[in-house]
Amino acid sequence: MRFRTQIANASIFSKLTASLSSLGKVCWMRLEKDFIRFTIIPDQGTQVWAQLPIDTIFEEESYICESNTGAINLEVPIGALHRALRSAVSAKLSNLRLTKKGNVPLLALTIRATSWTTTSNALDIPETTAAAAATDHSSSTIDNSATTTTARPSGTGPRERETVITQEIPIKVLHESAVEGLHQPRCRDPDVNILLPSLIQLKSISERFTKLATTNSSNKTSTAGGATSTTTAPSLSSPKLELSANMHGSLKVAVGTDAFRISSVWTDLLNPSLDPGQLDEGRELGQLPSERMREVPADDEAGWAKVRIDGKDWSRILSVGRLNPRVVASFINETALVLYVFLPGSWNEQDSCLTYYMTSYAV
Amino acid sequence: MTTLSFSLAPKAIYQLHDALMCLAKFDDSVAIEAEIDLLRLSVLNSTKTAYSAFVFEADGFFESYSFGRVRNGSSSRTAHPEKFSCQVLIKALLSAFKGKTSGRDKDTSVERCEVELQEDLDESECRLVIRLVCGLGVIKLYKLTYEPVHVQHAIFDRSKATNEWSIEPKYLKEITDHFGPSAEHLDIYSEQGKAVFTSFTTKSSDGKEILRQPVHTSVAIEKRDFDYYLAEDHLHVAIHMKDFKAAIAHAETANAKITARFTRPSRPLQFAYESEGVKTEFTLMTRGDSPGEDAPGSSRAAPQLSARQTPAPVQISQRNTAPETAQMPPPRSRSIRPLTGTSTRASQSNTETQQPPPSMEFDSLFVPADDDRQWDVPNDEDEGPVEDELGWDATGEQTSTGPGLRDIEPRMAQTSHEEEEMGIPPTQRMSQLHGLGLFD
Repeated sequence: MRFRTQIANASIFSKLTASLSSLGKVCWMRLEKDFIRFTIIPDQGTQVWAQLPIDTIFEEESYICESNTGAINLEVPIGALHRALRSAVSAKLSNLRLTKKGNVPLLALTIRATSWTTTSNALDIPETTAAAAATDHSSSTIDNSATTTTARPSGTGPRERETVITQEIPIKVLHESAVEGLHQPRCRDPDVNILLPSLIQLKSISERFTKLATTNSSNKTSTAGGATSTTTAPSLSSPKLELSANMHGSLKVAVGTDAFRISSVWTDLLNPSLDPGQLDEGRELGQLPSERMREVPADDEAGWAKVRIDGKDWSRILSVGRLNPRVVASFINETALVLYVFLPGSWNEQDSCLTYYMTSYAV
Repeated sequence: MTTLSFSLAPKAIYQLHDALMCLAKFDDSVAIEAEIDLLRLSVLNSTKTAYSAFVFEADGFFESYSFGRVRNGSSSRTAHPEKFSCQVLIKALLSAFKGKTSGRDKDTSVERCEVELQEDLDESECRLVIRLVCGLGVIKLYKLTYEPVHVQHAIFDRSKATNEWSIEPKYLKEITDHFGPSAEHLDIYSEQGKAVFTSFTTKSSDGKEILRQPVHTSVAIEKRDFDYYLAEDHLHVAIHMKDFKAAIAHAETANAKITARFTRPSRPLQFAYESEGVKTEFTLMTRGDSPGEDAPGSSRAAPQLSARQTPAPVQISQRNTAPETAQMPPPRSRSIRPLTGTSTRASQSNTETQQPPPSMEFDSLFVPADDDRQWDVPNDEDEGPVEDELGWDATGEQTSTGPGLRDIEPRMAQTSHEEEEMGIPPTQRMSQLHGLGLFD
């Protein structure tokens, strides 16, 4: 089993791991000849399956992945990997390889970072100005300090300095049999597909709603506690956002408590249709629920598909916005929300996709 | 009776604040010692593994400084003024000497600070009085209580340190940026023109918890980034990460080049720098395999080679290379021991160089040793303080053969010796005793 590669895009890799680490601590990383896959399946909450072509983050020429089964499956502490990759973001050369130290398998990240030394210490500048400013107050001490500052020998001129950083992340190697049973969730065809608006805007509005509902519901439970049954009590701690969309370019985020109800609507969004080539045999585009929903008039409530999701979970998912992706949300009415996150800049966008699966909460 | 008073310009107040912030990272209270020409603030941490001291020169740092001590009721200053020492909570001092942030309000910002010690035997109160003279006639007055204390210093003989390097603290700061927040220790060594800083954590970890294990980070910088690097290659010294971070954080604010001096593992290492009338030093106990312990000390450098090594070949190599390090005065009971690690390490590194791994492979050269010596011990945290006990002398003069319980005895001997030097300890009780004398 052998894996080593140069990292071609440490920035994307780092942002990707940052987004993933918000959802879970441990990530299943599957390395194949052409693809890398990152999967997080937390005990509860959102699952994410990310599949990227090698060249999205790695340098294809240097990529070596050898295994009897054709794939290497690793269990990686994703937060630690993210932290380690932060050192690589500004480096010119970084190398990732699978290795072993004693009995502990490791992902070893070796980074060669270069920087330029400056002729004179940049820190001197504020120091001397501070000394000059303080001269007004006193002269005796400052004279002394000024001479110390100027007496410091200046550097020998700018030169390139190199720093080599190795980050060794302990991991687990998973046997193929351990991951056989894991597969992407299957769900029925979505009722509504819609391209989400700017994620940063969506995130800030959603977070404000969540916060409003959190403070309000905590008040409510104290005043009207009798009305709240014990089963719904835990869910009150983090409020559920209602997300709904139709096939006429509208997306609605809403939250409601006993005291208030608030919603925000985006219009004129795109409703992408499924590529006919992706359809199973014997089916036509018109038979899809989403196409039937398209027939429903825009002002009809029946044309909306709605899901209820955890506000905090939603906010964690939206942190993927740092990758600046295009996101298609697929609504399965009252059942689930699936997000397809397409990274920008990759050669073929369809190949690099992060898929988030969220189940809808019951009312 | 002691008289002590000094005044500070605003800039010095900030420097004092920075120093106190740094000292606060080691323990809660600071020992203040006043002498005729200097004021020393020092902290020895509770596990006695780290000592930090700031020495403020009477001429260079203060606007004015006066210290006098009157003994046995005679009014003349003694020819050799004693020290005055006391202990104050750092928090209390920090609230008085606020940092630059307190300068928001320009009108009432601090213009001068006067500190006076009120130790009058006739008064019921003894206080350290801090007067901050601010703009618009605002005067802030702090009266702090203090307690007498025998100040313990870590003794570090710089002339005996065999290894030394000096560097801009910003380069060290860059290095620490790569370490994870959970990193506890820092191992420093050099090889092939590079100085390597490695973080490690001694938390135990069984097989099930592999993913919880800390990330090992090692950062290698070129020796020419240093002003000078005069340390033996392959000599590993390990210190606490938080002490290292505290030292470089302050060195960076003081904008001073930091110098490290050390001899070998399990002997103290000292970081020192000087800036604008302030001398700063951090004396930190190093861990790591002390050469000459029962197990071959150089196992860190080449575990594959030394792990099963019998003592016999080690002894031979000691004798072979003894003259090389003859400038180090051999400690009494362990005359050849300090040389052990050096020589074996050198000989082993020769063997290693025959192996193919280039510099990129350096991790494999030493890191496995952690598995052998440190990662295995589950109760390391319990034993840690004892093992890390700070010795009192860098020269190896103490009779103890290594870090361990045995250190306690020589340390007490040293302490009593120190008391003699200080003369009668300047405690409240003793001075009151003089006051009761018949002929006063």
